Amino acid sequence: MPAEPSPIATQDGPALEVIGINKRFPGVVALEDVDLTLEPGKVHALMGENGAGKSTLIKILAGVYRKDSGAIRIGGMDADLRTPRDALRQGIKVVFQEIALISEFTVAENIYLERYPTDRLGSVDWSAIRKDAAALFERIGFDIDPAAKVGDLPVSQQQMVEIARALAHQAKIVVMDEPTSSLTPKEVELLFNVIKRLTGLGIAVLYVTHKLGEVFEIADTVTVLRDGCRISTKPIIEHTQDSLVQDMIGRHIENLFPHSRDMTGGATILSVEGLSTAKLTDINFEARAGEVLGFFGLMGAGRTELAKAIVGFDPIHTGRIVIDGKALLPHDTRTGVALGIGLLSEDRKTEGLMPELSVLHNASLAALRQFTIAGFVDEGRERGAVQQFIDKFRVKTPSLHQEIKYLSGGNQQKVLLARWLMRGLKVIVVDEPTRGIDVGAKSEIFALLDRLAGEGLAVVMMTSEMPELLGLSDRIAVMAGGRITTIINRNEATQEAILNAAIA
Amino acid sequence: MQRSPSLSATAGDMGAVAFCNALFRRNEMVLLLCLAMVIVFFSLASGSFFTIRNFANVFGQASLAMIAGIGVGVIVLAGEIDISIGSLAGAAGIPLVVIMNNGGSLELGIAGALALALTVGLVNGYLAAYLGINSLIVTLGSMFVIRGLIYLYTGQKAIPDEQSLESFYQIGNGRLLGTVPYSALTAFALLMGFMYLMRHRPFGRNIYAVGGNPEVARLAGFNVKGIKFICFVISAVLAGISGILLSSRLGSAVHVAGLGFEFQVVAAVVLGGVSLAGGVGSLFGVALGVLILSFLSNGFGMLDVPTEWQEVATGIIIITAVAFDEYKRQRK
Repeated sequence: MPAEPSPIATQDGPALEVIGINKRFPGVVALEDVDLTLEPGKVHALMGENGAGKSTLIKILAGVYRKDSGAIRIGGMDADLRTPRDALRQGIKVVFQEIALISEFTVAENIYLERYPTDRLGSVDWSAIRKDAAALFERIGFDIDPAAKVGDLPVSQQQMVEIARALAHQAKIVVMDEPTSSLTPKEVELLFNVIKRLTGLGIAVLYVTHKLGEVFEIADTVTVLRDGCRISTKPIIEHTQDSLVQDMIGRHIENLFPHSRDMTGGATILSVEGLSTAKLTDINFEARAGEVLGFFGLMGAGRTELAKAIVGFDPIHTGRIVIDGKALLPHDTRTGVALGIGLLSEDRKTEGLMPELSVLHNASLAALRQFTIAGFVDEGRERGAVQQFIDKFRVKTPSLHQEIKYLSGGNQQKVLLARWLMRGLKVIVVDEPTRGIDVGAKSEIFALLDRLAGEGLAVVMMTSEMPELLGLSDRIAVMAGGRITTIINRNEATQEAILNAAIA
Repeated sequence: MQRSPSLSATAGDMGAVAFCNALFRRNEMVLLLCLAMVIVFFSLASGSFFTIRNFANVFGQASLAMIAGIGVGVIVLAGEIDISIGSLAGAAGIPLVVIMNNGGSLELGIAGALALALTVGLVNGYLAAYLGINSLIVTLGSMFVIRGLIYLYTGQKAIPDEQSLESFYQIGNGRLLGTVPYSALTAFALLMGFMYLMRHRPFGRNIYAVGGNPEVARLAGFNVKGIKFICFVISAVLAGISGILLSSRLGSAVHVAGLGFEFQVVAAVVLGGVSLAGGVGSLFGVALGVLILSFLSNGFGMLDVPTEWQEVATGIIIITAVAFDEYKRQRK
C-alpha cells in the first residue's frame, strides 16, 4: 500500500470527457445533450441553480444514475459507469454534500473503507491504516485525530475526511458537490489549499457550486447549466459576476420577485423574547402582519432550529413566544396551530407530504375539523374548500384525487401551503420554501408568499439563498452560531453586509 | 470532541467519573460485569454452582445458542434478521438421521444436514438480499414453511437413530478428557474464527459498513446485496451446525426440536448489545449475552426456580439491557 500519492503519469488530453449526455426522469428532462471536459491538474467549476442538472450529472459520474445516452471517456477510453464501484475503479471519487461515511467507524478506517490495506494473510492491517491516515493528514495539514469516531466529529471535519479519502485512493478525478456549504471561512481556506494540492498532483477537479465568490477564487474554467442544458463553458477570466449570474439565471433577478406590496408597518403578530434552546441563544425579534421577515444564515446557523422552536415543535429552555398577544406553550404544536402559527418544513418529503395520499387529503389534513359534522367529514365541503385553494394557487394537478407524490415539487409545495392556510393562520413560517423546485415554479412560490403577506399574514422565511432573501424580504435577520447577529431593512441590505453578519 | 460543561464534579471525583464513563461506554465491559455478578450471586446462593463440572455443563448447554447466535449476530450486524434458524436447526436432524438409518456414515449425514442448511440460506438470501423483500417477513415465512415440512415428513413423530453410531453420540455429548464438552470447543472455535472475520478481515468490516449505512456502503463501491446474501448463508449454515449437535443430544430427529430456539438466540444477540438497526455491536457481546442467559438458566435451575419465572426474568433482563443502551445513547 503506497502511502504517498504519486503524481499521475502526465497524459496528453483530457482526464474526463462527457459527450452529449442525456438523462430523463418521468416528466422531467434532467440533462439534455450536455458536454463537459476536465483537464488534468485543473479546477473546473460546474455552476447552476437548484434543479439545473448539477446533481444529476454528478450522480451519473458517481455511477449512481445511468445515463440514457451519450458517452463518457476517461483518459481517452470509453468508460461504462454502471455502479459506484465502476466509478471508483476508473478513478472518479465524488465527495457528496451529504457525508458518505460510516459514523460508527473511526476516521482512519473510513478513509480506507473502499480498499483496506491488508497483510500477507489478507487481514486488515490496522497499524498501517492508522499510520497511513496520520501521515496523510500531516501531509495535507488536517488537524483530525485518525482514531476518533466519525460520528463524534463536526460536519466540517467529516467533509475533510471525505476529501482525504479521495487522496488515499489516488483518484484521478475528484468531484466536489457544494463542498463549502458547511465550512467556516477558515476551513474553506484549508479546503482551497487542499484543492491546489490535488491539482498539483495532476488530479482533475470538478467543483460544483452555486457560490460566485468561490468560483473566481479557485476555478480555471466554468461550465454553467440551466434547466438541464449546458449554457456556457468559458475560462473564468472571461467571466464577470454579472455574466455568470446572467448565464445561471437567464433573466434579470428582479423579474423573479414580484414585490407588489407597499411595506407598511402592520401590527406585531409574532414576538419572540429571549428564546434559548439547545442550539439557539437569546433570540429576540418581532414579525408584523403584512411583512415577509427573511432569516439568513450559513449551514448550522440555527435557522431550521429557530423555525421548529417558534412553532412549538422543539423544546425550548427559556424565553417566550407570543402570537397575537397570547403566549405559545413551548414544545406543543397543538397550541401553536390553535394560535395560528404553522411551519412549512424544509424537508417536504419527510415532514410535509403524505406521499400516498391524494392532493385533496394532503390539503385538508390539518383543517378536517372544520368540515366535520357529528364526527363525520362532510366530503362535499372538504372538496369545495380545497378546490378554492387549488384554483387560487394555480396548482397543476389532473384532479383532486391524484396522489400527491406524482406532482412536481412546486405544486406539492403549493398544496402544503394550502394545508396551512385552510386553518386560517396568522403567521406562516417557511423553511427553504423553494428547495428542490425548478426556476419557473420558484417565481410562482415567491408570488404566492408575497400575496399572502399582502393579505395580512406575517411570513417568516428561513433561507440560505441570497437572491431569494433579497428579493422577497421586507426585513432581513441574519443568524450565526444560533444567535441573531443583525436585523436590517431590505433597502439597507447588501450582499456583503449580510454575509459579514452571517460569518460573524 | 464533545465537552460536557454540565459535569459539575470536583477534581477528586473526575478520575472516578471518567473511569466509569470509559467503562460503561464499552458495552462488553458492562456485560462482563453483569456476567460476573450473575456468577457471584449463584455461587453464594448454591453450593454446587461454582464447580468445574457445572461450568463445563453450562458451556455445553450454551454451545448450541452460541453457534446459532454467531450467525444471527452476523446477519443482524448486516442490518437484516433471520428467525428461520429454529425451524432450520430442527430440520437439520432429519437428513442426518435418515441418511445414517439408511446405512450412510455420520460424515455423509452431516453433509446432508449442511446441504439442507445451505439451501435454506441461499433461498432466504436470494429473497431478502436480491429481491429486497423484508428479511423479517422472508424468514418468518421460511420458519413456517420448514416447520410445516418437518411435520409433514415426520408425521409429527420423532425419527429415532437406529444405527446408534458412537461417533454420532460423541459429537453432541462427548467431552474432552471427560470434562470439556466437544460442542463447547466447537462453539469456541467458531466464535474465535468469526470474531477474527468480523474484526480483522475486510469482508467482516464490510458487513459492519453495510449494516451501519447501506447507502454509504453502496457509494463506497460495495456489493451490498452480495454481502447480505452471504450473511444469510452464514446464518443458515451455523443454524444447521447447531441443529446437528442438537440432534446428537436428542439421539434422534425430533419434529419439535428447535421450537422457540430463534427467540432465545435473538434475545441473547440483543442482550449482547447488537443493534437491530445494524452495524453496531460485536460477536464478543453476543457470546456474553449467550453466557449470561445460560448461567441464569442454570443457576435458577439449581435454586429450583420454576422455568416460568425464568422466562419472566429473561424478558425483564432483555428490556432492561436495551433500555440501558438507549439511555446511554440519548445522553450523548
